[in-house]
Amino acid sequence: MSRQNPGGVKKRDAAARSAEEILKELGVEATRVEVPASEKEVQTILARASKEKLKVLPMGGGTSLGVAVLPEKVDLALDMRGMNSICELDPRNLNIVVEAGKSIKSINQELSQVERGFMLPLDPPRSQEATLGGAYAANMSGPLRHLYGLLRDQVLGVRGVNVEGSQVAFGGITVKNVSGYDLTKFLIGSAGSLCVVTQVALRILPVPEASGVCRIEFPSDSDLEGFLSELRQSVLLPSAVVARWEAGDAVKLLTVALEGHPKAVERQAREIQEMGARHGGSGRILEGRDTFLESLRLAVDPQGEIHRILALKVSVPIAQGLGAAKAVEDLAVRGSLKVDLALLAGNGVFFAYATDQSDQLLREFSKGVRETALRMGGHVLPVWGPRGALEGWGPRIDPAVGRNVVMPIKQSWDPWGVLLPVGL
Amino acid sequence: MQRKQLVQEVVSIVGKGNVLEDKASLAVYEYDASLFQGRPDVVAFPTDTQQVAQLVKLANREKVPFLARGAGTNLSGGTAPTRGGIIIDLCRMRRILEIDTNNQTALVEPGVYNLTLQNALAPLGYYYAPDPASQKVSTLGGNVGENSGGPHCLKYGVTSNHVLGAEVVLPNGEVVWLGGAAETPGPDLMGLFVGSEGTLGIATKILVRIMRQPEHVVTILGIFQSLEEAGQTVSDIIGQGIIPATLEIMDNLVIRAVEASVKAGYPEDAEAVLIIELDGLADGMDEQAQRIEEICKANNVVSVRRAKDNTERAELWAGRRGAFGAVARLRPSYLVCDGTVPRTKLPDALRAVKEVSKKYGLPIGNVFHAGDGNLHPLILFDGRNPQELEKVHKAGTEILEAVARLGGTISGEHGIGTEKLKEMRLIFREEDLEMMRRIKKAMDPAELCNPGKLVPPPAQEAVGHA
Repeated sequence: MSRQNPGGVKKRDAAARSAEEILKELGVEATRVEVPASEKEVQTILARASKEKLKVLPMGGGTSLGVAVLPEKVDLALDMRGMNSICELDPRNLNIVVEAGKSIKSINQELSQVERGFMLPLDPPRSQEATLGGAYAANMSGPLRHLYGLLRDQVLGVRGVNVEGSQVAFGGITVKNVSGYDLTKFLIGSAGSLCVVTQVALRILPVPEASGVCRIEFPSDSDLEGFLSELRQSVLLPSAVVARWEAGDAVKLLTVALEGHPKAVERQAREIQEMGARHGGSGRILEGRDTFLESLRLAVDPQGEIHRILALKVSVPIAQGLGAAKAVEDLAVRGSLKVDLALLAGNGVFFAYATDQSDQLLREFSKGVRETALRMGGHVLPVWGPRGALEGWGPRIDPAVGRNVVMPIKQSWDPWGVLLPVGL
Repeated sequence: MQRKQLVQEVVSIVGKGNVLEDKASLAVYEYDASLFQGRPDVVAFPTDTQQVAQLVKLANREKVPFLARGAGTNLSGGTAPTRGGIIIDLCRMRRILEIDTNNQTALVEPGVYNLTLQNALAPLGYYYAPDPASQKVSTLGGNVGENSGGPHCLKYGVTSNHVLGAEVVLPNGEVVWLGGAAETPGPDLMGLFVGSEGTLGIATKILVRIMRQPEHVVTILGIFQSLEEAGQTVSDIIGQGIIPATLEIMDNLVIRAVEASVKAGYPEDAEAVLIIELDGLADGMDEQAQRIEEICKANNVVSVRRAKDNTERAELWAGRRGAFGAVARLRPSYLVCDGTVPRTKLPDALRAVKEVSKKYGLPIGNVFHAGDGNLHPLILFDGRNPQELEKVHKAGTEILEAVARLGGTISGEHGIGTEKLKEMRLIFREEDLEMMRRIKKAMDPAELCNPGKLVPPPAQEAVGHA
């Protein structure tokens, strides 16, 4: 495997894991890794790749590459982390334009230092390593989606390079924009199969005046269920609600994040604690922005050695969230697997982090999870994991939709199959 | 196929009572709320998905253009049948199929009016956030096609942010579900479909996200003697970290029209009124409202009024909601422009509108979603005067040119349709447009599904305005 940084102007964070390490863990062999430092370089690379019919894998921090359909071998891995600048920041108009290879955590660190403090309410798991482009390509978001919506609700515009090496741009920097097809949204979740994203424009928001967190332990599933049901019917507006537990543990730890006017935060904290107590929970209130952010990170990030973890993202209708997570917990217990669950309650989404040395056991577990989700009207995507555990995943997109919509578009945008295949 | 035979085929699918084919009836379907027209061959009123699919398959077999239509409130010529063919009018598919507060969704047919859904949700303590000014008459299918906005987009986003999934009859007549109550893997196909102006298929069922009604709402009306000061107030509110649900401005011309029509109680000599709405938890909202009133005072507000109850709130809103209709009193016709600029560029955009008005001698009123930077200059004219009509088109284009120069976009919520095809090149390069064309070609190779809309043909094939 050879490595090139043709421009060599900007380098990715030296502390980050190398593309080679990430690809090795995912079982992908790349003949060459390139780290473009500019959009122009991406254009040159893709134009050449098309001419020579090379297979190209665009990548960021590798925190959600599992959502892509990964071949065993590619000719070229495009490590986008060399493009990691904030291109434009306009706090007065509440927007920002960022290169795709910048990590989400670093975007927020820089925003928090601007004037009164701003934020990008996007917090997928492992957001320290996760790049904006990766989160965009994989449609990843985290606990803050509860109040602020998904990545698709933050994105205003996108720029990228098509397989012919031409720069393409869609959307803009305004919230309202219905000029032409909304390809800014369409490309979300396309997992590197349609074009290489180089820049993303997003909405930003002022950091709220006050932040706080309620951490409540519930002794049983039914107590947690009762609490979540009452919370859902209330007028309260938490920013995030995450339940975290290890499969087999009766006790569930719930993190409820609160932001806004100090009076609103204070009232919500009080009422949520009282509501928790009514359902057998006991907990405490933590204040301050740093605590708020760290609590959410702990609530959703995996623990342990990343390279042995199979991370699955399960989406079901909102009211089925806890039921689906419990069904997955049963699968883990029956299979004697160590599985951590992070339920984004109120969104019908949870992450299941399964750890085992046996790929076979992980494969069986993921098969069970898919069947469970399907039964409950949902879907599962692998976020990352050992190659052996991801093998034989099968189609990700509904076959009728794939045949009639996704494949015709893929063939018209990437007729030579330079980029990654779509999930059919 | 002869028209007569086509009509017979359509009748065999939807039944005689669900077809219009006489000259007088078809005349009603020649236009929407834009300045564009075209004569359809037949209008069909399907009552279920299968009928829509059969109509689309018939159109494919006979190579006849087809287009879906809701209430016809489209402002950019998106539902004008410029190439004839079959109009598939969805107004008889108007059932609310399910409201599921547990999963915070509602499943509706495309012909349901936006306000009908709001009225069904209100007693349950829920609402659907997108609220275009046309909500009394515009359908949810139309809202999806146009990605409609409304005054509350600043905080809650547009239709696309609230549609979770849809049953869609594709341009080839296949029926698929895009999106759903749970997140679906792969590219964001709902994101592509919403706002595609009926060019990529027809939604026959729509799953929308519903939200709990806010605990508390505060509505404030500010009267200003300067449009610039009203605009500066908007910037200052957001600069202080307050994100209201709504920030709406109307200028003097519109204020006078509104007073003559709706009698909302706005002073007729005011240069601008600004409507500000906060929503959310009651705690701390009074303090925020006070801060907003202080910002208004710092910008020389003449008077500031806070609605005491829902009746007063409705009164303050009546003028804004009736603004488009009210200006019809001033001249026989009007063209609503729809551009969006970064909020801080609003004063420049308004100056440009003023210059265009002066240059062409056309009165232009301004109603705009100031929080979003979404302008709606209303160019008033007499459509019976062909020279004036030509000036209107030129004036509209020049306003959009100014918007594009200021870093904005040529449509915030009304779509491209037929009206702005030429102007698409103000904001997109040929490479960008080509990617859009490939999508259309991939999904509708014969180009029968609402053809000639949204994306201009390649430069060498381009034609000017009709």
